Amino acid sequence: MTEIVIQGSLLILVGLLVVCAWRVIVGPSPADRLQGVDTSTSVLLGIIVLLSLIQGNSNLLDVALALAAFGFVGTVAIARYLSEGRMF
Amino acid sequence: MTEWLGVFFILFGMFFFVFGVLGLIRFPDVYMRIHASGKVSILGIVGVLIGAAFLLPDATPKVIMLIIFLVITQPAASHAVASAAYRSGVEMHNAIRDDLKGNVPVHDWRVDELIDEIKESP
Repeated sequence: MTEIVIQGSLLILVGLLVVCAWRVIVGPSPADRLQGVDTSTSVLLGIIVLLSLIQGNSNLLDVALALAAFGFVGTVAIARYLSEGRMF
Repeated sequence: MTEWLGVFFILFGMFFFVFGVLGLIRFPDVYMRIHASGKVSILGIVGVLIGAAFLLPDATPKVIMLIIFLVITQPAASHAVASAAYRSGVEMHNAIRDDLKGNVPVHDWRVDELIDEIKESP
C-alpha cells in the first residue's frame, strides 16, 4: 500500500516536471519562464523527498535542503535582474 | 497508524502538486499563475515532507529544518516573481484598475529591443 502510493506519486511528479518544462519553453515573457523554473524546483524537492523514502534513509534530505537554498537564491537573483536590469 | 498518517499527508501534498501545476498551465496571466504555484511551493512540498517524517522517523529533524526554511523563503520567492513580472512590463489580463501604474518604474524589455533595432538600422 505505502509502496504503491510512493511510487505512483513519484511517477506523477515526473509528469508534472514535464509540464513545468512546457511552461518554460512556451511562456511568452521572461517572468513566465522564471515562474516555471521556480515551480520545477518545488517539484524536484518533492521528487528528492520521495526518493529518500524509497531508499529508506534520510541522507538525500541534505540534498533537498541544498536545492531549496540554491533555488531560492537563483529565483531572487533572476527576478532582480528582470526588474532592475542588474543582479547585484 | 503512523503509516496511514504518512500516506494521508503524502496524498494531501500530491493533491496540491497536481492542481497547482494544472493551474500553472491553465491560468491566462503571470499574476494568476502565481496564485497556483504558491500552493505548490508551500502546501504541496510541506505535505509531502510531513508524510516523509511519519514514514521515516529518523528524518524528523531534517524535515523540520526544511519546513522552516521553505516557509520563510518560498513566499519571498513568489513575491519576487510577481514584482519582477510587473516591473518588466507584463500586462494584467482583463484588469480594470491598476493602483501601481505610475508609482513603480516599469522597465519594458520589448520596447528596449525595438529602440535598439531602430538605432542599428541605417
